Amino acid sequence: MKTLIIRKLIVDERNELFDAQGMRYVEFPSDFGRIREYAAYVLSECPPAFKEGNLLEQQLSEIIKNGIKHGNRSDPRKKLRVWYDLRKRARFIVEDEGEGFTDLDAWNDFYRSRQTALFNEDFDGFLALASYRGPHSTPDDGGNSLVAALEYWNGGIIYNAARNKVGAVRWFTGGSD
Amino acid sequence: MEWTLDDCEGRTTVRMVGDCDLYSAPRFKTAMLRKIEDGARRLLLDMSGVRYLDSTGVGAIICILQAARKSGGELRFSGVSGSPRRVLEMSSILPLMKLEGSMAREARPAGGYR
Repeated sequence: MKTLIIRKLIVDERNELFDAQGMRYVEFPSDFGRIREYAAYVLSECPPAFKEGNLLEQQLSEIIKNGIKHGNRSDPRKKLRVWYDLRKRARFIVEDEGEGFTDLDAWNDFYRSRQTALFNEDFDGFLALASYRGPHSTPDDGGNSLVAALEYWNGGIIYNAARNKVGAVRWFTGGSD
Repeated sequence: MEWTLDDCEGRTTVRMVGDCDLYSAPRFKTAMLRKIEDGARRLLLDMSGVRYLDSTGVGAIICILQAARKSGGELRFSGVSGSPRRVLEMSSILPLMKLEGSMAREARPAGGYR
């Protein structure tokens, strides 16, 4: 029997995912052209088992991209702050200096409609809904990074109250030393 | 990412090589939309040379699927594997993609996309 699974982006300022104690820290200027380089830098000492090909790098790049492009609007004067911990699991906190993800509720509505169309095998409806357009979206945005993020970050992906900081964690089968 | 086009017997095969990411995907999308606009009705996107796919690449694929659908054309994919396949699965796009070859067996065929 098929099951309709609807996940949600949530806001929880006091979530333990925002506890940065013991985490490593780095900050980057908001250079859109260096997003993948930043992700690769953060993961330079990552256990190979966590990388899953290049999936971890890709998912971290998406969070960094959201902070630089949508949060800081690629303003080089604004910094992106990254805390990371790659012991036993991959855990990140990424904070930008933007106004926050004000469209979070609208995105959750979009996601619900999108997944419902898929569940009902309404492929035309799904395609029509397959891209999210917020007030600040560009033609290359589609909200797809967050769709995948909800599945990938199996320990949670949480926003702070200002919605300009994300905490995310992925656990791996068997863990790591 | 780079790509080559091979027109043969009414079908255009597009061989993609490299990273389909936030830097290359917009250019690729524009080229494919132009190809469809210029009358290409049977397209095969060979992704066997793609090792990295991000959400901008996924967005490009969605746009190309939408354009092909609108034009009444046929769009198929081959060589979808590894991390790119996982990204498409997590983005819920894979069921919409008509896959060719052995990879097709693992994809859910119900409904699908013509």
